[in-house]
Amino acid sequence: MSIRSQGTTLFAAILVLVASAVVLQLWLLTVSMEALLGGEYKTLVPAAAGSTLLLLVNAGLLRYVFRFDRQTHERELRGGQTIRF
Amino acid sequence: MSSETELKGCAGCARSAKWQRDFPIEWDGDHYVTRREMVKFLTLGSLLLASANWITVVASKLLHRGSKTESVIGLVSELDRNRSLLFRYPTEQDPCIAVRTPEGRIVAFSQVCTHLSCAVVYDKSKDGLFCPCHLGLFNLQGQPVAGPPTRPLQRITVEQRGEDLYATGLEG
Repeated sequence: MSIRSQGTTLFAAILVLVASAVVLQLWLLTVSMEALLGGEYKTLVPAAAGSTLLLLVNAGLLRYVFRFDRQTHERELRGGQTIRF
Repeated sequence: MSSETELKGCAGCARSAKWQRDFPIEWDGDHYVTRREMVKFLTLGSLLLASANWITVVASKLLHRGSKTESVIGLVSELDRNRSLLFRYPTEQDPCIAVRTPEGRIVAFSQVCTHLSCAVVYDKSKDGLFCPCHLGLFNLQGQPVAGPPTRPLQRITVEQRGEDLYATGLEG
């Protein structure tokens, strides 16, 4: 299995995780908006903190993707790996 | 041009159709790039959603800012005569109601029903705040007890200073 094929599978898994986190963030935003309009301000800060935490998780996963991509490119340039599309 | 010449240099695609040979799609490479781009795109969306959440926090602080001001809302004698008193707090656009409970305490709430924003009124027979639009009822702690409302009424803190009643802030 080529590095790119492995990367495709890996990125698909990461994509599922990131998409789930984004859906959770959407739900948190909906809850926040409802709380804001209902005058219940206590839930807003925890919801924003949760959303930020999910953003950090997503950013970490994206950083991993970039790092993997860079390593793949370096390997391609060195010719250490046969690239097959 | 013979078909053999056409296939020259295309190992492994001898059985593919001509249009596929003319416009080859490198599926592995394509999936690799599109998934990577999708992760980038979703992370950007994640950043926007987190920002939107913090904007709601800032908006709540701005809405809440006027709640620290104190204002005279009426006389205690007026409240005792009718058992309820209508006033506006913290701004002229915010209708509120103060009620003398059977135990003698004074409680005040926003008059805006948490269901669909109709004005609630004091109902002596039910000893609660009644919303005539959809027959919602709140008890004198502001909690919904009947009808469609599910969230409590916004509570206003009130203080008695001599004969005057003051609204001093919003709770929660």
